Amino acid sequence: MAMVQRLQFPGETASIKSVGKPMSEDVAIEVQDLEVSFGNRKVIDGVSLQIPKEQLVSIVGPSGCGKTTVLNLLAGLVDVPRKGKLLVGNKSPRLGDDRIAYMLARDSLLPWRTTLQNACYGMQIRGVPAKLREERARDLLGRVGLAGFENVYPKQLSHGMRQRCALARTFALDAPYLLMDEPFGALDAQTKLTLEELLVELWQQERRTVMFITHDLAEAIAISDRVIVMSARPGRIAGNFAIDLPRPRNIRSLQKEPHFHELYAQIWGVLEDGWRHSDV
Amino acid sequence: MSKNERLALEFGATVIPHAVFLGVFLGLWEYAVRVGWLDSIFFGQPSGIASFLWANLIQSASLWKEMGWTVFGTFSSFVLGSIAAILTGLLFVMMPRLERFLDPYLTAFNAMPRIALVPLFILWFGLGVASKIAIGVTLTFFIVLSSTIAGMRGLNQDHVVLTRTLGARPAQMFAYVTLPGAIPVIFSGLRLGLLYAMLGVVGGEIIAAEHGLGQSLAYLGSTFNMNGVMALLLILSVLGMTVTGIMTYVEKRLLHWQ
Repeated sequence: MAMVQRLQFPGETASIKSVGKPMSEDVAIEVQDLEVSFGNRKVIDGVSLQIPKEQLVSIVGPSGCGKTTVLNLLAGLVDVPRKGKLLVGNKSPRLGDDRIAYMLARDSLLPWRTTLQNACYGMQIRGVPAKLREERARDLLGRVGLAGFENVYPKQLSHGMRQRCALARTFALDAPYLLMDEPFGALDAQTKLTLEELLVELWQQERRTVMFITHDLAEAIAISDRVIVMSARPGRIAGNFAIDLPRPRNIRSLQKEPHFHELYAQIWGVLEDGWRHSDV
Repeated sequence: MSKNERLALEFGATVIPHAVFLGVFLGLWEYAVRVGWLDSIFFGQPSGIASFLWANLIQSASLWKEMGWTVFGTFSSFVLGSIAAILTGLLFVMMPRLERFLDPYLTAFNAMPRIALVPLFILWFGLGVASKIAIGVTLTFFIVLSSTIAGMRGLNQDHVVLTRTLGARPAQMFAYVTLPGAIPVIFSGLRLGLLYAMLGVVGGEIIAAEHGLGQSLAYLGSTFNMNGVMALLLILSVLGMTVTGIMTYVEKRLLHWQ
């Protein structure tokens, strides 16, 4: 497998500097000239984007910009008439593709399953043998800080803990492509930071390609290698930014970093432009 | 104050008022009959009810036998009606068009007072327990059917979406999401269904039967044995509470995650 120059360490500065296209064999997820209409209303108009292998890329945009639709198309969840090309690891999207792990805004833990059983759930559906999946689930629960909560039911867990369990369930899958739809959107600010740190940590350990949908720009900049901005109605790509903050990052102290604010201001300008020009 | 003392006190505080209330109520009733304010032909009297229960529950097992028939009929109709309802509900959820087509017929049938079917069922299934089970089934079926459909329609869509992205087969979706997700709602239907099964069976027994508490009740009523009638009403109420109690217990065990 081709390695990508992704991990940056303190002292190194830039990740991928150019906004240009990465080499095609390094592309994990690709959307080209995507057009989607609901009825005669165009909701996505000529969206093209590429997510390089093992990168964490965020898509930000106002609600209604179609970011979730793009994600759901890649997951094979929606089947709407469309134009353009969609590729996940060089194949067309297919629902239930076991190279894809999908994570929703709400934890979607099954309330009748314990933490351990929930962490095992994805692997169970995908036919991982019982012994192996339990081992893997216990390992991941430990890494997300839920050791000791294996036999507890979701109602006894806090929101943050539930989303930790959902992270464990997602990463427990042996899937190279993670599609995440605002997974921390429903959490309070403090819990959100913790979960963002956890996500980045898991991602650095596991080397997956992550497509992360959010409407929170600060979150997108803090965790991503690249931030793609979409504008609303119809959804278009408004900008594509490499985030050259060094890794590993201390997400909590990024607020003190001037470059973080520069990036924020720069991208915010584009986001705002997108609102102004949307035909709402 | 120790924990045991406190529990004993709480127990006393809840039980004593009821004991006093019942004591006064039964005492007044007995007194009213003895001094002639109430006619025991119409109202019975507590001492008579007690001696009826003593004679038929303890000295002889005659009422237990009748109760056995009623309980057997109730559980049979509950089990048959519920299984049929859950399977039908599943079929309807899988085939919404079938449900839409059958809906007016089912609504019409369900609107019919079920006791009105007794003469027909007695003709078809005889005077024995089978006709009572048939009535119980028709009552239980509709209650459990509507809760099954509501339960399966009301699934958490996040669970469904997640499971679809995992590539679940239909059988997996059913076993891991649809059924466990619908069970809490189905259970509220089952609890009601069980009581209605009993209603159907006892109602059928009252109209025409060879056995059962309903049959005994009808006989005692027609022979003006009011002590017996009151005793049977008491038994039926205790039986109903026991049946619901069992249901609550099973529900708690099965839905301990709630």
